[in-house]
Amino acid sequence: MTYELSIEPVGERLEVDEEQTLLDAALRNGLYLPHACCHGLCGTCKVQVVEGEVDHGDASPFALMDFEREEGLALACCARPLSDVVIEADIEEEPDALIQPVQDFDGTVVELVDLSPTAKGVFIELDRDLEFQAGKYINLHVPEVALPRAFSLANAPGEKRVIELNIRLVPGGEATSYIHQSLKVGDRLKLSGPYGRFFVRKSAPENLIFFAGGTGLSSPKSMILDLLESGDPRRITLVYGARNRAELYYHDLFTDLAAKHDNFTYIPALSEPAPDDDWDGDVGFVHDVARKRFDGMFAGHKAYLCGPPPMIDACLTTLMRGRLFERDIYMEKFITAADASQGNRRSPLFKSL
Amino acid sequence: MSANQRLNLREKYQKFTRDLAWEPSYQKKSDIFPQTDFEGIHIHDWDKWEDPFRLTVDAYWKYQAEKEKKLYSIIDAFAQNNGQLNVTDARYINALKLFLTGVSPLEYAAHRGFAMAGRQFGGVGPQVSCQMQSIDELRHVQTQIHTISHYNKYFNGFHDWQHMHDRVWYLSVPKSFFDDAMSAGPFEFVTAISFSFEYVLTNLLFMPFMSGAAFNGDMATVTFGFSAQSDESRHMTLGLEVIKFMLEQDERNVPIVQKWIDKWFWRGYRLLALVSMMMDYMLPKRVMSWKEAWEMYFEQNGGALFEDLARYGIRMPKYWEVTVKEKERLSHEVWSTFYNYDHAAAFHSWVPDEAEMQWLTTKYPHTFDQYYRPRFEHWQSQTDKGERWYNNTLPMLCQTCQIPMVFTEPDDPTTTCYRSSDYKGEKYHFCSDGCKDIFDDEPEKYVQAWLPVHQIYQGNCGGASVPEVLEWYHLRDGEDNKDYLYSQDRANWLKWKGLTEEAERTLKAVVNG
Repeated sequence: MTYELSIEPVGERLEVDEEQTLLDAALRNGLYLPHACCHGLCGTCKVQVVEGEVDHGDASPFALMDFEREEGLALACCARPLSDVVIEADIEEEPDALIQPVQDFDGTVVELVDLSPTAKGVFIELDRDLEFQAGKYINLHVPEVALPRAFSLANAPGEKRVIELNIRLVPGGEATSYIHQSLKVGDRLKLSGPYGRFFVRKSAPENLIFFAGGTGLSSPKSMILDLLESGDPRRITLVYGARNRAELYYHDLFTDLAAKHDNFTYIPALSEPAPDDDWDGDVGFVHDVARKRFDGMFAGHKAYLCGPPPMIDACLTTLMRGRLFERDIYMEKFITAADASQGNRRSPLFKSL
Repeated sequence: MSANQRLNLREKYQKFTRDLAWEPSYQKKSDIFPQTDFEGIHIHDWDKWEDPFRLTVDAYWKYQAEKEKKLYSIIDAFAQNNGQLNVTDARYINALKLFLTGVSPLEYAAHRGFAMAGRQFGGVGPQVSCQMQSIDELRHVQTQIHTISHYNKYFNGFHDWQHMHDRVWYLSVPKSFFDDAMSAGPFEFVTAISFSFEYVLTNLLFMPFMSGAAFNGDMATVTFGFSAQSDESRHMTLGLEVIKFMLEQDERNVPIVQKWIDKWFWRGYRLLALVSMMMDYMLPKRVMSWKEAWEMYFEQNGGALFEDLARYGIRMPKYWEVTVKEKERLSHEVWSTFYNYDHAAAFHSWVPDEAEMQWLTTKYPHTFDQYYRPRFEHWQSQTDKGERWYNNTLPMLCQTCQIPMVFTEPDDPTTTCYRSSDYKGEKYHFCSDGCKDIFDDEPEKYVQAWLPVHQIYQGNCGGASVPEVLEWYHLRDGEDNKDYLYSQDRANWLKWKGLTEEAERTLKAVVNG
């Protein structure tokens, strides 16, 4: 059984299966709706149901409160249609966003690399090409794990057939434990993508600064490779932090790129270098190192952040103290079930941060 | 895309706002908007103003008309069904008297203030936001006047609210608050009203008032409150946006904004002292204590906001920690003051009964029994002897907030807090460090304050005796003022409801839970 989904204010009409979420239907038709966690936890995908009825599914009572349900609000990532539905969503036109419908893919693991003591590089050869914009992620169906997990694509978008994922072992994490301990070359995997709203504003004239921590390097890596391959002339800086030298994977790759491209600056930073690291680079957290290198002034840049929440938080404060604000800061937000249940204290001061 | 596809929210907003503006060619911008610079705020690009609501004026009229239709049908039904008889107890009406005589004129002042601010801002985004808010505020005051009109038919103290607002001693507290904001520049006005008051503190005004009305059976007030509140989220967003805009436009704005946040947080907090006593003493059926409300709405929600603002280099408002120290005594000190001076007020006061004092003991375990219960018990014993006590010595007022100097030292609830400043050979007195700092920053502004007690002593208020001043206030002695116990309001209430004094006591206990 299918229904018609109309999306205002763009007037888009599409078919949606009764088993399908509104978000999934929109994304699969190449229509971007704001979203983040995809599990009904964060509330980013809140839309107004103007006509028709939906089943709210697993929408968290914290992300979609009772009074909001009464007012006809719904979380697109959980809501399934019970009739033809008209929704109104806050859709912002982004000239740099490429519209790429989400599709399902099958692939074979062709290579597994130990990038660092905690991160594994997983290379999957897909059965057909995946067109994606650098910064996007895919949802990977991990065998024996119920819900798919999101991983950023680490390869440049020029490579459409063999994708690369950098996956950190989360202690006790069901999916990442499987990938680190059981996944073998030759295994078949299912995935869908590309998802996300994290991409380089190529039409913006400003120089770019990327902040990456840990496996948050994936998207910046893909973005920087893409920019450099396309010969983008703007100044590009990558500030990349890890605990110690062993965790700082792809260090040689970026060192080489910096040597080859005059407009690319690579600033690696170790927060706790090991005694035998023999490290003569910057020591400290990413935001502190960046503040020193940029003399505390970031105005006139576009900043792209990817990393663990404490790193993002510290970088935001550093950037804003350095006169760079919300409209020039982009980041990928991954919300885990644990993050959402912490009931974080947020004021409505910032919309997208 | 077909040619007649309807505009999306964003495009429509653009057409109805930004596209209506033009660059002047035969007048200088600085002549058209002469007040944009003198406050020291630097604006480089008005287009960076973002209005997240994107409400266009055609949609605005549609929404507002719908609200009006709903609201007036409920107000009419309330009047036709004698809804005033369904409130918990006629003492509740005194909370309404205070709110409607204190706050409704401020709604009108806000209507004027936002019209002026909108005229002075050089960008079309804030012009449109301010214009809509200005019209909202006019709507709010109109609906409140309808409520005043209804209650005025049955209860005392409402009959000349506008006249009273300009004259009555405690109404000078809200009046001077708003006059202070309106006589500032446009940026300070919007920081004061939209940010500090509407955003940071509004929940503390509306929540107790609205929930109080709902808890006490006053559906007319609940409805106009809901109707007004549906505009408030837009007003609050304006408050947030103006702060972000100033902070992002120029680094030199940051210390100015911080100073205004400090000032208007404290001014707003002092104004809310009136709300604190409303919550703890004036609602027969209580919603939550002032202390609980302050913890929830300021310490928690406000704390989260200031954590986010810290990214801009903004810290918590100065003296916020004093408000935390005062939360266990504020309402008791203020209600006691009105109990003292009720013979000169347009509403009634009373000693809380035993069940109510028990509630206060539970809510204020560290202070009520120690400091305030003995006071009320003493006053009750005076009343029992037929000697209801009124204070005939006029109190000293704070030069800034205009509240009598009744607040106590932050670290000692038994010592009155006195502060003073010398300016051009005169001594000025303050209730707190917060009020003193505000004066010291702009003494020329506050030396002009119209302080009711000074004015009485200077012979500007009809005479030197209480009856003469009451006449000048347009208050009727023995009807609008004094203890609820002996009031016409109470006598009428018992008659209308067919209650004996015994039944009234039982009912109060039931209501109090």
